[in-house]
Formats: sequence, structure tokens, C-alpha cells
Amino acid sequence: MDKVARLRQRAKELLEKQEVVGVLGYRASSRPGISQVAFITKTEEVDRLIFDATCSQNLANYLLKVKDKGKVAVVARGCDSRSIVVLLQEKQIERGQVYILGVGCEGVIVQGEKSVSCRSCQYPNPVIYDEMLGEEVHFEPEKVEDEFDRLTPDERWQILSAEVARCIRCYACRQVCPNCYCPVCFVDASMPALVGKTHNVSDNMVFHIMRALHMAGRCVECGACHRACPMGIDLMRFNRQVAKIVRERFGLVAGAKPDEMPALTVFKPEDPQEFIR
Amino acid sequence: MADSSGFEPKIVAFLCNWCSYAGADLAGISRMQYPPNVRVLRVPCSGRVDPFFILQALQQGADGVLISGCHPGDCHYLTGNYVARRRFAVLNDLLQFCGLEPGRVTFTWVSASEGERFAQLVREVTDRVRKLGPNRKLKKE
Repeated sequence: MDKVARLRQRAKELLEKQEVVGVLGYRASSRPGISQVAFITKTEEVDRLIFDATCSQNLANYLLKVKDKGKVAVVARGCDSRSIVVLLQEKQIERGQVYILGVGCEGVIVQGEKSVSCRSCQYPNPVIYDEMLGEEVHFEPEKVEDEFDRLTPDERWQILSAEVARCIRCYACRQVCPNCYCPVCFVDASMPALVGKTHNVSDNMVFHIMRALHMAGRCVECGACHRACPMGIDLMRFNRQVAKIVRERFGLVAGAKPDEMPALTVFKPEDPQEFIR
Repeated sequence: MADSSGFEPKIVAFLCNWCSYAGADLAGISRMQYPPNVRVLRVPCSGRVDPFFILQALQQGADGVLISGCHPGDCHYLTGNYVARRRFAVLNDLLQFCGLEPGRVTFTWVSASEGERFAQLVREVTDRVRKLGPNRKLKKE
């Protein structure tokens, strides 16, 4: 039995036994190449569920929106499950509230190409699950060569400021992020107004630096923000960098281990401090 | 003091109430000479320094920022500076990644008894920022 058939069968069983109030997954949309998020609550609708390379949304984000309805089953790939781990660590959901249908993922295809974040993916299989649908997936992640580090500060600034200058501050990156859930986001705070609302380079850069900082030790590099950006800004450049900083400095990977807390919520007395004079 | 272009840097210093502010105070009451370029802001703890403070100082025209707290192990609140250290480490690396000149933002530990060290640090930081020139990157025009 293939993944999708197994998914439909298990969704039906879970709903029939009333173990869950709904199943969070994907269904086909009217547009080819793009799937929609589906919250299935009726057994007769389980045949709508699909799982393929067009399923690009991170379902952990939608989990936050339906968690108050009761126990929910959720389809989770590697990145989705790591987002769920971060939400569990941050006490946004309880483990007993979710039933995780794990699924191996070979990467998301967007407009005929494998998504940037998926090419170097180290976690195609879920790190936590209640059951696996189908086999685990194994593939060799591409090495991302970043020439960027070798440029001078001025060159780096020029490239990045030209990039963020295109930002229209629509905050789509924030909306799709499974780990952005603050009731009042720093960009909306008005007392004090922490970040300017205009889209000049200075405000845009501060927004992107602060967004990346907030994701430090929490971003699972699912690439949802990158795919959501209407201006095609390479947001993963910031996220990949903070993930790298956290990995190299503190030896932590966001959401990889359920018993390890996010990097910036803990400390060690012997943390490196060569940057402090 | 000024170089040939007449540029004098404005430096915003966030000093923790319990160590660095007292250290700066000691430098003052000991009549130690140091450049008048720093504007001191007293914060309860280096852990209180939100990265926003630093970015906003730069946006609003500071040429350099100095953040100073108690030495590790000496925090009045026990662990404020340890938590801050991780945050500053990521911020510092990220600012360099974005292309901000190394030396614009300086992190230090100064204890209440290190008046001379504080004066020396201000001399160093002022010198370094003066050499870097005015902050043009993050400043809001």
C-alpha cells in the first residue's frame, strides 16, 4: 500500500474511532503544481487527502490554528516534525494533543524545481512521530557552497541591502512561519514602536535582522518563508546563517532533539566569548 | 582630538547598573581622562539590552555602540549576562554577516572596580570608530 492510501486509511480509522477531531493534511487545489492545506473532520472526506511534492506548506503553522478544537492528527515530514518539536519545547502545544503521522519527504517541487531549502535538507524523515506512513527516505543532501562569507563587509552589505530593498513588508514570511506565533509581533508593536513601518533600506534591514535573530536556534529551515515571499527575496540566506551560527557556536540544531532546549533559552558558563573584549 | 575631516563619532554605551555603570562612575570620581564621545545609558542588566536597542541606536545616527555588563559569574541577577552572551554572540555574527564593519558594535565586561579599564576601553572604542568613519549603513536617512 502506498503512502497516500495508507494515509487515507489511517485518517478514516482515527476519525471513526474518534481518537482525533480532525486530520491536518493536504489536498489538491484547482491550480496544478500547488496543493492546499486541508483540515478533514468527516470520514467521507478522507479521500481528498494527498501527499506529494506539491505539498509545500509547513503544517505545524496550521496546527497552532486548530489545536483548540481537540486532539488533531497531523501529517509531518522532517521539517514539520522539527517545527512541532520547537512548539512542544516552547509549550505552545502538548504532546498528547497531537497525533503525528510521520512521512518521509523527497523535497518540495515549486515551479518545476526542487525548493532551495530542500536541496540541502538533512532531515527528510520526521524526528518524532506516532506512526510512520511508508518507508523512511534517504538521499544525499547537496552541499551548499556559499561564496558570500569570503566577500568584504562592504560587498556583503551591498548585495544584502539591494536584496532587502525589494521587501514590501507584507509580512507573508511571518504569517507562514510555524514558529512565529507571538500575539503581538515586534513589527506591530506601537508602544514602543520597535521597528519602523516604512520600506526604506534601514528599516527593512533591521526587520530582516531581527526576524532572523528571533529565529535563532528555532528556525528549522523548512523554507516556508522563502516560498511565500512575493518579491522572491532569498530569506533563507539569513535563516541559514543563524542556523549555522547556532550550530557552530553552541552545537545545537533547532528541533532535532526533543529534550534539547532552543539555543537562546539556555546557556553554558563555558560558552565561547572571543567576540567580547 | 578630531582627525583632518573633523569627524567626531557619537557612541552610545549601554552599561549595566551593577558593574559597568559603577566602573564608569569610578573612572569619573577618580578623574580619569577619556574621550567625551560616549553617551551612557544605564540598564538594569546586560540581559536587559534588547538587540533592538543596538540596532535602533545605529538607525538613529550613533556611529558606534558599546554594551558592557558584569564579568561572567558576577551578575547581580546570577545568569543575566550568560543569557545575554549567547544573544550577543548571534547578533554580533549576524551583523558581520550583513556587512556591518567589525568594531561598530563592541561588547565588553567591566566590573565596578575597573575604572581604569573602562577609561581605556572608551579610548579604544572611540579610536576605532573614528577610523571606521561615520555610520552610513544602518543609519536612517
